[in-house]
Amino acid sequence: MPIESYDFQTFAEWFPGAFAYWAAVMGCLLVGGLITGFFVSVLRSGPMRAVEVVGRAVRDLVLDMTLLSPRRILALAWVAVKEAVRRRVLVVFALFLVLMLFAGWFINTASDHPERVCIGRLVFPAMWVLTFLLGLFLSSMSLPLDIKNRTLHTVVTKPVRQSEIVLGRILGFAAVGTLLLAAMGVIGWLFTIRTLSHTHTLTAGQLKEETTPGSQTSLLKGKTSAASGHQHAVTIDASGEAVVEMKQGHTHDLYIEGEGDDATYTLEGPKDQLVARVPIYGKLHFLDRAGNEAEKGVNTGDEWTYRSFIEGAGRMAAIWEFKGITQRAFPESEFPESIPLDLTIEVFRTHKGDVSKAVAGGLWLRNPDTGLKVEAQVFGAKKFSRDVRPIPRSIEVFKKDAKGKPVKDANGRPVRETYDLFRDLVTPDGRVEVWLQCLEGGQYFGMARADAYFHARDASFVLNFVKGLLGIWMQMALVIGFGVMLSTFLSAPVALLATVFVIVGGIFRDFIVDLAAGKTYGGGPWESAIRLFTQQNQIVELEPGLRTSAALTFDTIAKPALWMISRVLPAFGNFEFDDYVSYGYAVDGDLLLRCAFQLIGFLLPLTVAGYFFLKNREVAR
Amino acid sequence: MSAQVVVETRNLTKVYRDFWGRQKVRALKALDLEVRQGEIFGLLGPNGSGKSTTIKLLLGLLFPTSGQALVFGRDATDVTKNERIGYLPEESYLYRFLNAEETLDFYGRLFNMPRAVRRQRTADLIEMVGLNWAKRRQLKEYSKGMTRRIGLAQALINDPELLLLDEPTSGLDPIGTRDMKRLILRLRDQGKTILMCSHLLADVQDVCDRIAILHQGELKELGRVDSLLKVRDVTEIRTTVLSEACLKEIREVVQRHKGEVQMVGNPTTTLEELFNKIIEESEAHPGRRVRGVEVGGGGRNAH
Repeated sequence: MPIESYDFQTFAEWFPGAFAYWAAVMGCLLVGGLITGFFVSVLRSGPMRAVEVVGRAVRDLVLDMTLLSPRRILALAWVAVKEAVRRRVLVVFALFLVLMLFAGWFINTASDHPERVCIGRLVFPAMWVLTFLLGLFLSSMSLPLDIKNRTLHTVVTKPVRQSEIVLGRILGFAAVGTLLLAAMGVIGWLFTIRTLSHTHTLTAGQLKEETTPGSQTSLLKGKTSAASGHQHAVTIDASGEAVVEMKQGHTHDLYIEGEGDDATYTLEGPKDQLVARVPIYGKLHFLDRAGNEAEKGVNTGDEWTYRSFIEGAGRMAAIWEFKGITQRAFPESEFPESIPLDLTIEVFRTHKGDVSKAVAGGLWLRNPDTGLKVEAQVFGAKKFSRDVRPIPRSIEVFKKDAKGKPVKDANGRPVRETYDLFRDLVTPDGRVEVWLQCLEGGQYFGMARADAYFHARDASFVLNFVKGLLGIWMQMALVIGFGVMLSTFLSAPVALLATVFVIVGGIFRDFIVDLAAGKTYGGGPWESAIRLFTQQNQIVELEPGLRTSAALTFDTIAKPALWMISRVLPAFGNFEFDDYVSYGYAVDGDLLLRCAFQLIGFLLPLTVAGYFFLKNREVAR
Repeated sequence: MSAQVVVETRNLTKVYRDFWGRQKVRALKALDLEVRQGEIFGLLGPNGSGKSTTIKLLLGLLFPTSGQALVFGRDATDVTKNERIGYLPEESYLYRFLNAEETLDFYGRLFNMPRAVRRQRTADLIEMVGLNWAKRRQLKEYSKGMTRRIGLAQALINDPELLLLDEPTSGLDPIGTRDMKRLILRLRDQGKTILMCSHLLADVQDVCDRIAILHQGELKELGRVDSLLKVRDVTEIRTTVLSEACLKEIREVVQRHKGEVQMVGNPTTTLEELFNKIIEESEAHPGRRVRGVEVGGGGRNAH
């Protein structure tokens, strides 16, 4: 699951910069608005009156945004809820229910990770689409219809501030969306559990006794029955301890009663399938071919932005600097032998050889204070497999001299020495470096910051599911905010279209940012249009001429406009947590807090803008 | 004329423009008006004369092109003035999915009224407009007359000092019209100021103290109703029924004084008055056919 650098920031790291940026954008919009208002007033009534109008607008803004009545806002919200119910919004829930009733027929439970298909491809996207549509239609249609039906006349002739009308709408529709989303969440949760729930049977006849060569003990080995398109290999040792193979991202607890042919085997439901891992991420940097520190590795052309690559059998290395690796985070009672390091590696081969064979890599631990560096393990890496690499609490290695040669005792045998992970390799405040190198020449390892993390504990999956719903809820609240704001000055169909534009623009915000920065292939909008209609690829240079010059000029003009648009569009992707939930990673509290503040950061100016447009609108025209 | 000025317009002008700013209609031209506390003021005029525009400008639903609209001395766009205002629109623009109780409770909340006060006020107003039997029905099930009544109740929810009534009797049957007019007079007696606009001249004549007549956005006449309607070159004497001999004598006296008797006879009442009398009689004696209702000597056309 790709995690962008944005997601690693703590709230404390993010907030000062984000707030300054927000304040700057808001300041620009406010000053721009006042200047525009002033010039419009000058044209209409002359400069003296314009000063008075602008002054009064500022005074009214302060009063109307501060002297709010919760009772009035709640009353308006209540009417918005009633109106929504009258408009049969419950149909949305019915649609979801029908979808969940029949979707089970089409879910492929035999896939490698059925939970990802179920949650990430069906339940969350369905809820996302339905809540977006709900927010879109309710918010953009309501106010214009109230104005058209003149029900708003009766409301605005009461002591109601325009800011209260806007806030009341937003809160009312958000309340409707919350109720529906909660109901859909419960149904979605039940659907997920029901879809993924399965068990296997195991009988004595399915197990065969095997004796390990050179050992007195024998093992019972076999396979469970097939269910949900898979079987698990089972190994039971002489003491009766059973190991059920991890398959499709889960295993099962096995209980044995009785002995021999009379023994009965009971397999529980799936285990470790619906989890919420709490990762401890480190900061990633690289060593280049000369062994110097570098921000990035090499570009193999396989993957350009997210991952960087290190070359095998050289000095190149990927180094993660971890913090918070303490005894408290990994108590001995829970982690008696080792602490788990989850590692995902992209393998890029310049010569294929046997593609089924893993490429050798090595992991080292280094104490950043003392500089002590110890080899933790050598392993074989296969393309994109997430493997748990247990880092032993006690690491035994061959002692080496200053030149790196093994030290031998009087009998010529290599001398071993033991290091304690927390005493020797981790600093007292919990810092440690993990070095990764590819050991085979001509092969490359690719990695991103999120590809290595220490897995300290699991959070509640139910809570993580709810956090995923919160992400959808925040996106819905954004849609409602934009819809209500736009509907204060646009007619219903135009407000609807404008809100759709915001949603689409927000979803593709990163692309618009790249477009404005000239980072996209194929040029700006005009150049791309020419390429599209003349069927030219993105790389080839356009034929010089008037058409090309005109397109490039228009693109140059469009760039600042695109930049400005991208600054005020919400990045909906930042609020999407469904990958976290479906891939089994806990949604970080800091991430939620950042999203909540972003939501407020949008809703606040949207309310002010909605207030301003409604205040300056002749409701009775 | 020392009563406090409640509504004032100064050179109030409204021009409707199209999207491009071109003038479409000059709806109101330099209107100067004053409405004083405790009077019933009527705005009269044919359709498109600027009556509703004036009311909407006073409510802040429209913005003046030039001039000023002041209510209680404040600009009409000042939201705080609405705390002392009640407004009955031409059509009752209410949420049709609410019932009568919910409607009044909602508007009471908009006035920040505490729950207990809202409940009491809602019950009183529903009782007053005679909708107790239908208070739980959604407004979409209401007849036009019932909707007007609940509209009036919402206008009174805050016990306003100033009532703005846009065509208050529109859509009401004769009894509803009579009740509305009685209510308007009663509210005036309670010290409230009422500004109403209507093109039903009889209604205005019955209740208004002063009227302004608008035509094509211009003020054409302004003054007290009784003064404006006085026919100064005709003398009217109203007596109980007289004998033919007495009438002959009166004619001779008039001729002797160089006067001209224009009409002698029994006055007629209005159809509205007759209808109301019949309904009152019917309600007093249900099931009996009403015959020969005597209408009192208050007829408008007695000579």
